[in-house]
Parts: sequence; structure tokens; C-alpha cells
Amino acid sequence: MNPAAAPYQGNLQYAVDIVLCIDATGSMNPVLGSVKESALTFQQRLEAVMRDKGKAISQLRVRTVAFRDFGDNEDDAIEQTGFLTLPEQAEEFRGFLGGIQARGGGDRPESGLEALALAVGSPWESGLDRRRHVIVMFTDAPAHPLGGPHSALQRYPAAVPRSADELFERWGYAGSQEAVMEQSAKRLVLFAPDEEPWNEMQEDWDMTLHFPSKAGHGLEEFEMDEIIDTIANSL
Amino acid sequence: MKLGDIVGGYRITTQPTNAGGGKCMWAFAEKDGERGGEEYFVKQFLAPKLPRPGGGGSERSRLARLRLCEEFEERHRSIMGRLKPDVHGAGHLVLATDFFAHGSTYYKVTARIDTSTLEKPQLLEPRHKAVLLKTLAVSLNLLHGIDIVHGDLKPANVLVQRYGGNSFHVAKLIDFDDSYLSGSPPGRDDIAGDSLYGAPEWRGYVQGDESVQPRQLTTAVDIFALGLMTHHYLTGSLPRYDDRFGSPADAVNARADLRLDPRLTDPMQNLLRRMLSRAPSSRPRASGVISALKDPNVCALQHRRPGTADGTSGSTSRGSTGSGRPDAAAAPRADGAPDGPPRTSRLRTNVPGPTRPRTTTDKPSAGPPAGDATRVSRVRINLGDRRGAGPRTKPTGTARPLDTRNDQEDTTT
Repeated sequence: MNPAAAPYQGNLQYAVDIVLCIDATGSMNPVLGSVKESALTFQQRLEAVMRDKGKAISQLRVRTVAFRDFGDNEDDAIEQTGFLTLPEQAEEFRGFLGGIQARGGGDRPESGLEALALAVGSPWESGLDRRRHVIVMFTDAPAHPLGGPHSALQRYPAAVPRSADELFERWGYAGSQEAVMEQSAKRLVLFAPDEEPWNEMQEDWDMTLHFPSKAGHGLEEFEMDEIIDTIANSL
Repeated sequence: MKLGDIVGGYRITTQPTNAGGGKCMWAFAEKDGERGGEEYFVKQFLAPKLPRPGGGGSERSRLARLRLCEEFEERHRSIMGRLKPDVHGAGHLVLATDFFAHGSTYYKVTARIDTSTLEKPQLLEPRHKAVLLKTLAVSLNLLHGIDIVHGDLKPANVLVQRYGGNSFHVAKLIDFDDSYLSGSPPGRDDIAGDSLYGAPEWRGYVQGDESVQPRQLTTAVDIFALGLMTHHYLTGSLPRYDDRFGSPADAVNARADLRLDPRLTDPMQNLLRRMLSRAPSSRPRASGVISALKDPNVCALQHRRPGTADGTSGSTSRGSTGSGRPDAAAAPRADGAPDGPPRTSRLRTNVPGPTRPRTTTDKPSAGPPAGDATRVSRVRINLGDRRGAGPRTKPTGTARPLDTRNDQEDTTT
């Protein structure tokens, strides 16, 4: 587009919000670098795909929720940002991702559902003409159930629902009164093992895509094509 | 759905993917127990989900989700009931052969159609271009004749298939999952459509313009997209428009020019101007487009001497004359000469577009959907013998029979 030409005010405006839920426990060490690198190049890749289609996104924001395990260490179980607008806040995004270290985790299940719950409750964009709200989960582990003993910990987020049923209702379905996300905008993309709760989530939650991963494997060459497809092909 | 799974009697033979689709997963498959037999394209819908025992949520939400599933099935039945494989032109619609729920999830099956992406349709001879466009227009004419709007017409939803040897290419229209009855579209937040190929009234509707009411979204929405695709197929690019606009419809809504390729014949420019009109009522019907394509010479590109009246670009409206978009579009050669033979490459298959069929005659049926909570719910829709239908519209100038495998019907929903 000619930079001298101000966009016409009546153009259709698209907003894309993405929340990356990243498992930052020790077992993710072999693949965390790849996930972070892909996240950092995501904006350029998405823009290139959209440009090839003759389209553009009016506003792109990314939020990151890194998680470990409340049962192992409640102090570093969640590290997160608010929504960062790209490319304006790319350095802040890069800085946060660069600071995520794979460590801890304790037992095999992690606090992935807590991260997902925080993602669902994000302050999603409600303006512009059309929106895509995408949550992406990267993990190689199953998750502790909600409402367990960890939920009594001091640092446990109050915003996290106390049961899987409650989280399910917050995700919602068409016409739901309890859903906190916009039905036509939402997508959940799971890069997670074929284990509970992720495989059950694929069965019961709508607008959810599950790409099974194996512990320590499967995300090394991840290039976010699946995420780009969920966005670029529906705008 | 995973590689090796058997879903509703189909063995999944490729890794499921969402490539090319925004709201679905898909894979290829063969019927269980028929190794080496016919191949199928299996599309997995992301919504709605049939509630499962212990699947989460309250009883109230379970009942609400069951109602959604009933409506979803009814929408499919409604569209499929209207699309008969034995009517004129149905051979170029890729209709579903099966639709069922497996566990909590809905699936749709069509025959696998291998086509080749025609990289430069603009380099085809005029009569070949005419055949390609006519087969597409005939499919639309069929849909529109039964009051169905495709709703997401764009190149990704048209499979170009070589029609026997090195002769003609025909267009196969796919993915009716966003179809709706003319004048009765889904809600403003729910309606599908492509931001580049969307019609002016579609954009106004999506943007919440109260002056655009649902009744104004008619089959003319498809005609606008067909106009853009026609320009693309004939010239290799979309009509040009000012940089300030995000799409042709944005420009048209602002009453700015869409500048047609000056190499297009006068009859074609006239046709395209009408197809790309701001007012839906000014656009021709699909039958009118077919009539206009009877003479293949209208599809020719011709040299016009610069500076002559005929050498100026045709415009669809008066207004600004910016540098034009899309920038990535191939600039037409001044002499209009082909820069090489049309290349057919890269195997392409029936990758779906977004999902969600809609009709406004959808009414919840009594009782829960069949198969609730069973692993394989046979809500299968009986399509009868849809496999014998061959295309009724055949390209002229060739006596070669169509590959009947590629004419196997079925509906998407």
C-alpha cells in the first residue's frame, strides 16, 4: 500500500488477539527455544500470508501466559503479560519470551488448565468490525484438575474457576449466556499430548483443534502454520 | 480424528490438518475394509459438539447444545434437500456423499477430487477461458435457481480440473457450508465471507450498517465475487483500485473506481461493470452471465492503442483514479501477448473453506438428535444414489467423457 495514502475510514477492520499458553517446565527444555523463536516470527509470517492473499489485519495483539506447576512452586507457576500490540510492542514481547526459562514442574501433570482459564478470561478486543480470538496451548504434559488442593494456595489466581465444568461453561457454545468469549471469534489450538484433559477437551469443546505432541518432541520444527491457517483462512 | 482412526466407516489415511481451512480439520480416507479403493475427503466440523455423558457442563447447557445440534443437522438437510444431483449443472458442484456424527463430532464426506492449480488461467485461449467461466457460472446458476447463496465464493473454493487430456479446464465449486437462503443470511457476527471477494452489501452488513438489512444479502452477493473472479481468470489480476481501500468492495462502497483491465473486450467490460455494481439489483443473474459467455471471443484480451478512447481503463464508477491495488497482481503486458503457456502444476485437492451452513428455514426438530452420546451416532443423511450424476454442462469442442469420479456429488451441507 502506498504509505502516503491514508486508509479509507470505511474499510473493513479486522482485529486478531492471540494468547500463547506456554509450558515452561523442565521437560519442555528441548523445544522451548523453538516455540519462542516461532512466536517471535509469527507476526511477520502472518502478515506475509495475509499479504499474499491481498488482505491485511488492522490490529494484532499477543499475550503470553507461561506456566509451570502450583504444586511444585506457587511463586513461579504463572508468568504472564497483558496484550501487547504488534509490531509496536515487539521489543516487550521479545523481552518477556527471552526471559522464560524451562525449569521445575515437579510431577508430570502441570498447571495447564490454570493457564488456559486465565487465557479464556483475557480482555479480548471487542471493537473493530471482525475479530479472531485465538488461544494456543503448548505443552508436553497432562494437567492437574481444577479445584484440587493447589487451588487453596495463596498465590493461586482467584480468577481461575474451581471446576472443569465451570471452565467449560466459560468457553461456552453458540448462544451461551455464560460464555466469556465471542463465539464467532474464538479458536483454541492445542499442541498437547493425547492425554487428559486435552484429548477430552477436543471431544467436548467446540472450535478446538488438537495437534497431539509427545513429551519433549513434536514442537522442534513447529512453525505456527496451523495457527496462521486458523486466522488467515477465515478472514 | 487421527491418522489410522476409523470414523463413521472411513479409515483416515492422511494426517489430519487444518491447512487451507479456517474452521475445520480434514483428511483423506478410504472406506474401512476397502484398501486401495476409492478415496474420500473427510471434513471434521469444529462446532457444534454433541454432548457426551460426563462431557462437562450443566444439564441446562447440555439441552441447549442438543438444540444447537438439531439445528445444525436440519440446516444440512435443508441445503442437501435442495441440491439434487440430477439437475442441470449439478455435475460441477462437489456435493457431499455422507454426513454423520461420530462420537461428539460431525463429519462430512465428499469424493476426493484431485485437480491441478491453473497458475495462469489468463493465458488460456479465449474459448478455454469461456468454458472455465461457464462451468462456474452454471454451478452458481443452479444454486441461485433454488435460492441458495454460496456465500463464500473465492478462488480457494473453486477447483479447476482439466477436462480430459490437454483440452479444457472446468471449474468445480466446493464448500457450501456457509450457504444460506437468499435474503436470509446468518447474523452479522456469524456470516462467513472473504474480505477480498465480499460484496459491498456484505461488508456493510458485517460492519453493522443498519441501512443494510438481511433481505439485501441475496444471490447478487455471489455475482459480485464472480465478477472479481472473472476478471482474475481473464487477466491474472483483480480490478485495480485506490491504495486507500482494503478491497474492491470498500472502493465500490466509497463510490470510487474499480479500474478494469483495458485489454478486456467491450462486451466483457460491460458485463463486469454490471457484475461489480454497487447496487445488487443492477448485477445480472448467473443465467445472464452464461448468456454473455456464449461467444468465447468476449473472453479475449486485445491490444488497444494507448491514447485512444478504447485504450483507457474501463471503470465501474466515477471518482478517484489512484494507483490501484492489488499491488501484488501481475501487471498486464502492454501487448497483451502471453508470456508463456498456461502452466498447470502443484497437485491440489478439495481443501475446504470455512464451515457453518446457514439457512433461515432452519427449525429445531422435535426430540434430540439421533445418536446422542453414542460413539458413532448415525445421524447419517441418506443421499441416495448421488454417484451416477454426471455433469450436464459439457465443454464444447471435445468429445471426451468426463471422469465420473470427479462428478460424484455431494453436498456439503
